Amino acid sequence: MSLLQINNLNVRFGDASAVPVVDGLDLAVDAGEIVAIVGESGSGKSVTMMALMGLIDAPGWITADTMSFAGTDMLKLSGRQRRKIVGKDIAMIFQDPMTALNPSYTVGFQIEEVLRQHLGLKGKAARQRALELLEKVEIPAAESRLQAYPHQLSGGMSQRVAIAMAIAGEPKLLIADEPTTALDVTIQAQIMELLVNLQQERNMALILITHDLAVVAETAKRVCVMYAGQAVEVGQVPELFDVPAHPYSEALLAAIPEHSIGAERLATLPGIVPGRYDRPQGCLLSPRCPYVRDNCRTQRPALEPKSQSLARCFYPLNQEVA
Amino acid sequence: MTAVLSARDLTRHYQVSRGLFKGHALVRALNGVSFELEAGQTLAVVGESGCGKSTLARALTLIEEPTAGSLQIAGTEVTGASKEQRKQLRRDVQMVFQSPYASLNPRQKIGDQLAEPLLINTSLSKQERRERVQAMMQQVGLRPEHYQRYPHMFSGGQRQRIALARAMMLQPKVLVADEPTSALDVSIQAQVLNLFMDLQKEFNTAYVFISHNLAVVRHVADQVLVMYLGRPAEMGPKADIYDKPLHPYTQALLSATPAIHPDPLKPKIRIVGELPNPLNPPDGCAFHKRCPYATERCSKEVPAFRQVGTRQVACHYAEQFL
Repeated sequence: MSLLQINNLNVRFGDASAVPVVDGLDLAVDAGEIVAIVGESGSGKSVTMMALMGLIDAPGWITADTMSFAGTDMLKLSGRQRRKIVGKDIAMIFQDPMTALNPSYTVGFQIEEVLRQHLGLKGKAARQRALELLEKVEIPAAESRLQAYPHQLSGGMSQRVAIAMAIAGEPKLLIADEPTTALDVTIQAQIMELLVNLQQERNMALILITHDLAVVAETAKRVCVMYAGQAVEVGQVPELFDVPAHPYSEALLAAIPEHSIGAERLATLPGIVPGRYDRPQGCLLSPRCPYVRDNCRTQRPALEPKSQSLARCFYPLNQEVA
Repeated sequence: MTAVLSARDLTRHYQVSRGLFKGHALVRALNGVSFELEAGQTLAVVGESGCGKSTLARALTLIEEPTAGSLQIAGTEVTGASKEQRKQLRRDVQMVFQSPYASLNPRQKIGDQLAEPLLINTSLSKQERRERVQAMMQQVGLRPEHYQRYPHMFSGGQRQRIALARAMMLQPKVLVADEPTSALDVSIQAQVLNLFMDLQKEFNTAYVFISHNLAVVRHVADQVLVMYLGRPAEMGPKADIYDKPLHPYTQALLSATPAIHPDPLKPKIRIVGELPNPLNPPDGCAFHKRCPYATERCSKEVPAFRQVGTRQVACHYAEQFL
């Protein structure tokens, strides 16, 4: 049994006729595993994780066949029960470290709050633990930083504080939603290294949500590519990067400048992601897919095993090489 | 061939107030940058937040007056230019900004926004302006019916096309693009980068392309200028810099950039710490506190920006890396 098991998750905003923002998503994450979810804006990466954390408010609503975490059915939890798990066993760090922290309280107070809520630590013990956590995330002069307010910290430092808060409850699963998008590349390297070290040391599961395929290639073991709310390909790294089966995975990889070194033009996927009102009847990629055939326009493919990965395509690529 | 843009020791300092009883502090945001750029060529400026990239852009586009140094656009000296001359110079240098959500007027129709540069700077009739706008819209991949639409009706990629079209309306000699694709998804980024390249070929425009994304820079640049804390660290032809970076900062930047197919044999250079406080930069080489090769000399003596082979480097020990 996986640590996290999600089957057929749907998230809609509005009534039952609304287009699902997350459309039949299956995801399983084992303990101690790094899984990446990649996709472009609006592909449903973040909403999936918000659904898991119970952060979808009306008019949004979710349905799922299963959504279980460490044996607990996340769908049946009351708010009170959920708050015992979320923030402790499942923790999350967000894209913008400057807004993730409360500007009115010191860093020390905010970390101690987590320790007080979830572990019942108070006073000196909490302060001591907060200091250890700051040292754990490699913040220099940690002792004096406990008194600092978020505006006194740089982006990289704020993200380290957010990580310290996330690991305070010794989570089994850490969700990192674009943790380095707002950071410079040398700081990004430092933060990614820190996250992977913490993950290995504590045998945490890590879900890395990102749009940066290169970050995925360097850190994750398994990757789920999302397009317009659906998982279109799920596979191992680096196989998925070497021989993508889904045309969208291929196009996403080809659009990266790194793939076209020396070329005059970059490979592009024409058009844009379908919106609410122009969702195709068949495969969601069919209006943009270079390999589209007639039945792609009328039938939706299912996510099925192909030679190297699971892919949602009638005519998967790179099958003969396997 | 003569340079259309030539900067010599371009410097921009800002006075910042430190409160009532303290004197002003001086931020050396841009500290002696020199380069020459020819028509049809692209100079890419890379560096992390706070390195002076955007200050350079503001100086080049005449948004701000440089504190010292000289700037020539198409042979005309900017400092000390008359009002008339400056008006002409502003036609020759145009800019594309990072966020296409903030750089377009939300209350003006696209057609009117594109026609405005012509209205102000030329004596074309309404009909002629409209024809020019339509022609440019076609060139950047917008449909004629978009003329009557407002910015909110467009996606991020389309808006950046509009911003680029607006900048190119007067066929400037120099286009300064400040992080033009960092707000866009990869597949859209590829489309916009291709458009940049197409327009450059068509109009033989010189580009100053500011970016923190080294993969993008590798695709668009002819020359690369790496900056650190307001000073140039390394400048030279793209191929040389990517093949064999001489400045330790350039090496670290390239090493920190994640790759789709990471080379397991290539050692990762991890630099520690963050950018020093620009109000209180370290003595000697600005990078020496983070540099893995720093010696006694680096902490005392500011390295000169000197010619080493095909490029210029500001490091005492650049030859060692040749």
